[in-house]
Amino acid sequence: MNDNVIDRSKDITILEVLDRVLNKGVILTGDLVISVADIDLVYLGVKLMLSSVETMEQLKAGKKAE
Amino acid sequence: MKKLIYAILSLDDNPDRRIAIPPEITGIPGDKLHLIRQGGIAAVAGNTNGDAVDTVRKAALQYAGIIENLSFHFTLLPVRFGSVMESEDAVTRMLEKNATAILANLQKVDNRFEFGLKIFCDSEKLSAFLVNKTDPAASTNDPPPTDLPPSVYRDYVNKKLKAHRLEEMMLAYVDSVIAVITSKVSALTSISRFTKMASTSNLIDAVFLLEKEKKDELVVTIAGLMEEHPMLTFMLTGPWPPYNFVDLNIK
Repeated sequence: MNDNVIDRSKDITILEVLDRVLNKGVILTGDLVISVADIDLVYLGVKLMLSSVETMEQLKAGKKAE
Repeated sequence: MKKLIYAILSLDDNPDRRIAIPPEITGIPGDKLHLIRQGGIAAVAGNTNGDAVDTVRKAALQYAGIIENLSFHFTLLPVRFGSVMESEDAVTRMLEKNATAILANLQKVDNRFEFGLKIFCDSEKLSAFLVNKTDPAASTNDPPPTDLPPSVYRDYVNKKLKAHRLEEMMLAYVDSVIAVITSKVSALTSISRFTKMASTSNLIDAVFLLEKEKKDELVVTIAGLMEEHPMLTFMLTGPWPPYNFVDLNIK
């Protein structure tokens, strides 16, 4: 797989994680206690469905080979 | 002791009726998580001294990781990062008071995971393609021939009109792509949400709620869409806990 694709996907993946954990889910209004001192958007890598991306690449390669 | 809440889960709906949190899943400071139960539901909580929860990367992402690990064991509703309640009694009262809504949400997401699909494009290339497809003559930058004298106002109106038509074309294109996605994914799930034109490059931001076993079918479906739309870039993520399918604002 193209390295640039992976790097770009990693950045987006961090945003995907943070978007969900900070903006979605059950809201307990009035009890939220968050310090917004620092949001550091550096890669964690818990979520990208790499295996599925690879599957897509394989599918594409397989169809081209046919 | 104040409680940091990670998730609300169903005890009744879990096939093996697990009533204990796996010991390898610990809270943000590494402390033991515990269940605060009320009827057939429970909150997953950790102790906190009440200080503000720092939204540093480590804490936020660790919180997300804990919810993810829990989602492999329980049907759950993820709670937004940093939700702290005064005491165990307050959590119990919250669960009791909102039990009906919580159970309705749990039923909706039972044994299902969320998958995200973002579709990106090079907006300039796509715009040029759509303009050329609709009216090849309009793809040039030359103004239409006219016998009228030059007018800055007419130029302004023409420019605005052109931008408006382009926006309409983009929206029509996005709607057509969403219609295709909806028809193809409908065999896997009927629960999905679409956000159009989240940014100039992010044409579609979609989320689907479906059973985890259908992941491979979704991947194959999206791979087919990728081939049909070479101008677009697809990014599929998941399985996620059902963050986008929780409609619960507890006061």
